[in-house]
Amino acid sequence: MNTEGSFKKELRDWIVVRNQKIAPEDFDDDTPLIQERIITSLQVLDLVLFLEELTGSAVDVEQLKPGAFRSVNVICASFGPGGQRGG
Amino acid sequence: MSADAVSLPGLAWHENGQSSLSGSLLRLERAVDRIFLSWAGTWSAEEYRFPTFIAARDLARLDYFHSFPHLVTFPIVLDPDDENLRRFTTGEPLADDGSVRLAATSPIRDVLTPAACYHFYAHFCGQAFAAPQYLTTRNTCFRREAYYAPLRRQWGFSMREIVCIGSAAEVEAFLETTRERVADFFGRIGLPIAWAHATDPFFNPTRNPKYVAQRLEPVKTEMVFGDDLAIGSVNFHRSYMGEAFSMRRGDEEAYSGCVAFGLERWLYAITSHFGPEPGAWPDLGVSDP
Repeated sequence: MNTEGSFKKELRDWIVVRNQKIAPEDFDDDTPLIQERIITSLQVLDLVLFLEELTGSAVDVEQLKPGAFRSVNVICASFGPGGQRGG
Repeated sequence: MSADAVSLPGLAWHENGQSSLSGSLLRLERAVDRIFLSWAGTWSAEEYRFPTFIAARDLARLDYFHSFPHLVTFPIVLDPDDENLRRFTTGEPLADDGSVRLAATSPIRDVLTPAACYHFYAHFCGQAFAAPQYLTTRNTCFRREAYYAPLRRQWGFSMREIVCIGSAAEVEAFLETTRERVADFFGRIGLPIAWAHATDPFFNPTRNPKYVAQRLEPVKTEMVFGDDLAIGSVNFHRSYMGEAFSMRRGDEEAYSGCVAFGLERWLYAITSHFGPEPGAWPDLGVSDP
């Protein structure tokens, strides 16, 4: 099972691999990911699939609330160990 | 007060999802458009008139065909080969159900305009701007729908747009200021409008990353009359158009946004709320031309 720390690390690693223009030091855990284009709008569905893989359960995109992917910390709070799911 | 749109004086409804206007209703439509133009004028927006068709190649830059295949309408022509045309004319071109018995058709490279502002991004493709661009245009737009209703949901309808291409801050200021102006207008004439976040009507939305992104970071706010009729919208494209059409503002990719109005839906809202009689309509605050 993921710990909160390993969940966050896997998420950050996924972002850096996906966006090759971004280095780990270019964004912190509160950086607005979509607004700052750390994640592009075309990558959000891939992020949904990644979160499903990481958590082992489906994400209902119709239940996603505005801001649910705002930052690494927000994603961890919603989808990480003990998270509320769906933001 | 509500009115059955079909019985409105000056409206002729066509079962193919289009309407004809005349008399007081046409005068109201022109007055409403003058309001939009007055808002465009506060930005000294340059007005353009674009054609009916837009190149399929341009819409493909927006991934339009994957996102909205259910809405698209193509202009179609017969293959000009003599034998093909002879085949078409020697048969009975029209079937009993009103459908055309087509012969072979030429390749389709165009689309009937689905949104008025798309022409701007194609027009300014590859340009770098030293200052924000404020623009306006109006076009007849075409969107295939599962059903049609007079003035509310039409295959062919009129759309006026006011557009800003600039930096993120310039576009956000334009959208916020224009939205406040429009909201003040609704308050002044007493038209009940709710502002609501919305997403574009994507095909197969839950598998479309742009739909998911719009849910997560709302970029579209609609002016909703009654239960669900969006008579206009405020749209922040971020740098999506700037990237798709290689537009720059200074050293950065250009941002863009638009405020769009559906004229027939405005007519529906006004005549539905104030009644079909012109004497009951509010003073819109624009003079006759």
